[in-house]
Amino acid sequence: MTALLAVEEVSVRFGGVHALRSVSLEVAAGRVAGLIGPNGAGKSTLFDVVSGLRAPATGRVLMDGRDITGSSPQARARLGMARTFQRLELFGELTVRQHLVVAHRVRHRQARLALDLLGLGSRPRPGEDDAVDGVLDLLGLGSIAGAPARALPIGTGRLVEVARAVATEPRVILLDEPSSGLDGAETERLAAVLGRLRAERAVALLLVEHNVDLVLSLADRVTVVDFGAVIADGTPDDIRADQAVQRAYLGAAP
Amino acid sequence: MSAYLVGGLVLGGIYAIATVGLVLTYRSSRVFNFAHGAIAYFLAITFHWLAVDQGWPRLTAGLFTILVAGPVLGVILWAVLFRRLAHAPASVRLVSTVGLWVALPPIARVVYGHREIFDRLGMGPSPARTWKITGVVVDSNQIAVLVSALVVAALLAVLLRTTAWGLSVRATVDNPMMAGIAGIDTERVTAGAWMLGVALAGLAGVLLAPLRGYQDFQFTLLVIAAFAAVVIARMSSLVLAFGGSILIGMLQSLSQSKQAEDLLTHILPKDSIILKGLVPSIPFVLMLVFLLLYRGLAREQFLVDERAGDAVPLDPVVGDRSLFRRLAPLAVLLAVVVALPYLVSGLWQAVVAKGLALSIAFLSYTVVTGEGGMISLCQVTFAGIAGALTARFATGAGMATLPAVLLAALIVVPFGLLVALPSLRLGDLYLALATLAFAELVENMYFQLQSVNQFDSGVAVPRPRIGPIGFSGDRAFYYLLVVLFAVVALLVVNVRRSTTGLTLAAVRSSEPAAATLGISIIRAKLVAFGLSAFIAGLGGGLYVTYAQRSLPYVSFNALIGIVWLAVVVTWGIRSVPGALLAGLSFAVIPHFFSEHFSGGWLELPTMLFGLGAIGLARRPRGIVHDVTHRRRQRAAARATAAKVAT
Repeated sequence: MTALLAVEEVSVRFGGVHALRSVSLEVAAGRVAGLIGPNGAGKSTLFDVVSGLRAPATGRVLMDGRDITGSSPQARARLGMARTFQRLELFGELTVRQHLVVAHRVRHRQARLALDLLGLGSRPRPGEDDAVDGVLDLLGLGSIAGAPARALPIGTGRLVEVARAVATEPRVILLDEPSSGLDGAETERLAAVLGRLRAERAVALLLVEHNVDLVLSLADRVTVVDFGAVIADGTPDDIRADQAVQRAYLGAAP
Repeated sequence: MSAYLVGGLVLGGIYAIATVGLVLTYRSSRVFNFAHGAIAYFLAITFHWLAVDQGWPRLTAGLFTILVAGPVLGVILWAVLFRRLAHAPASVRLVSTVGLWVALPPIARVVYGHREIFDRLGMGPSPARTWKITGVVVDSNQIAVLVSALVVAALLAVLLRTTAWGLSVRATVDNPMMAGIAGIDTERVTAGAWMLGVALAGLAGVLLAPLRGYQDFQFTLLVIAAFAAVVIARMSSLVLAFGGSILIGMLQSLSQSKQAEDLLTHILPKDSIILKGLVPSIPFVLMLVFLLLYRGLAREQFLVDERAGDAVPLDPVVGDRSLFRRLAPLAVLLAVVVALPYLVSGLWQAVVAKGLALSIAFLSYTVVTGEGGMISLCQVTFAGIAGALTARFATGAGMATLPAVLLAALIVVPFGLLVALPSLRLGDLYLALATLAFAELVENMYFQLQSVNQFDSGVAVPRPRIGPIGFSGDRAFYYLLVVLFAVVALLVVNVRRSTTGLTLAAVRSSEPAAATLGISIIRAKLVAFGLSAFIAGLGGGLYVTYAQRSLPYVSFNALIGIVWLAVVVTWGIRSVPGALLAGLSFAVIPHFFSEHFSGGWLELPTMLFGLGAIGLARRPRGIVHDVTHRRRQRAAARATAAKVAT
């Protein structure tokens, strides 16, 4: 079976520094791929390459087996890719609900300036309210739907990032450290949400995390990077047992 | 021919001195100084005042201006303005220095006595001494420029490459935070860069004056050439900045030579205006050429402002105030607007009608900057083109006036899109520079066409008629404008609340998030830019209808556009009432001053508008927002305090 999303031998250089060295990984529909590694290992750079914000020096990104290395971020979004950002990239002056409305509308209809000028562009289309409310419920954001994003604490902001990605009804979501800044209860909720996304909507997840326990409990396959290179790749059990990983990253064995 | 080569080298040398000052300050503080030319003007006037009014020896006065007055002005401006701007949103930084550009020339004229300077005194001997070197005549003013340019180049090379200060500057430019951690006093480094940068502006000004005179537009032309060189240098390379400046100077000088003229008269139509407009248009053309050349380069190769998307902080779109609270101030404003023609008489009725026509044009800023988060310096140009076209359609082709206004505004839209397209990807600053150069280009080419300018008398525009109702009286026309303003304002508010508005808000806050969501950033910005060009066009058409005459070179030149922007941001760039009040105050305040004062006082309104925009560094949302939200903020603070207490 072809992977929904595949990264093939991607390298990125900043000046003389190798941020990524021939990194490969893949994830199938309804599966979770974890990516762990110390700070500066190149995880966020990889996400930028996958989501189209940065061009790799060499290597390819494939979706459904099609080469999308040269595609724009927008084209990838249309193919069903969504992502969150480690450094929150929320739309400060929009409310939580408006974030989801924008995401939903980008997916389902183009803005029509003529209608918008006449004031007909602000009405929700059929099904929009239900879809948006569904995502709000899923992430437990219903009570703050009317709050402007700039007023949110970081943990809540992360959940809004996830919700915004989900609202585009994607087939694959790239999650960049979704649990950092979340408290225990929020993390549990997040884990449950991610589990439901894969089970109910067959969404593929690519998960970058500092919270190793979360990754090892959710992921079907885990890739470990350090200094821009893959140092281990396997099932969570393999990774737990891997000596190199323990040395480079985990410190003491779990 | 060789005289033109020397002339080009001299002109290029002055541009180079101005340009490196600009690049240096931008690199060290991320504040792009639109007031660079105004500072050059201010210091040149300072020199003239010292040398002529105070009777200082001219060389002493020159050296004092460059070595003392320049650095002192630099450090003062840094302390009161530029330092504060370092952490402001990109658009606030841009607009504040635009405000300084507006405010400084009138301040100079007030400080040093209101007068026109017709002589061309410089530091050197007057009349200039000339030499003949291998058949080329060179005068002492030219030699001064060439020597200064070489000294500046050598000095900067030595300073930046070999001194500790130079190392700190380069470290600060690369990464201010890390430089700070490494123990570099980045504030001192930045202050030093501003002292040097402003001194270089002064040097360029003092060198330019004996060649071109002391009129302030000469300094605008200087700085526009420098802006083009800055684009060529991609905001960062001092070497490219130098080379680009020389290139621009050379092309401008050579295009005036006999050979070039002969060549051009063969290939171009006979209308001499194209030749006349060629020199000022060279910076724009070069800017455009290089922007297109650079299109292939990755965005990272430009010194692009990373916070570019972080536009003017804005009111939250959602109103949590009751309908009454929200509508009450608007109702009062509306009542005043409706009653206005009955409160004032005679000439003042025409003045408020003028203000209202401007308000419609100012709504275009509400779209392009308020919603789109972009700074455009050519809204005035769109208005001017549409005004000229309105006159052509209504008077030349006999169309009814209002359809002519509408058609003219529609024609302006593709021009807007063409101006915006090459620079949009590179962010706010490049767009602002490209729009400014475009404004200058149109002003010098199209606005001076014989058919548009008519020997400075302009083209007549009849007031409109709708069926049996004529609007030839100022009061009747005023009410027509009230209705039209309301219609355009409704369109603007509709867009703000629509999917397009949400999309623009998303793009304004975070381009990466918007892009990965699937929003086309370029498309969203083009929609805002095109719509704003249309609205500016409507305003321009209605303005010439108010004036019953289209004379764009006077009413819609680039410098007036700069003042427009300053007025609008002072009242509030996001606010529809803000645009209304900005238009009215732009017409009413200067008229009030001209009725009651004379002399230097007449400079005061422009100065105030400029200072208002500078004040943005403190309150970025404008007067309208501050007044209407103060009560709400207090209520919110009380609520929070109560919550904390329980």
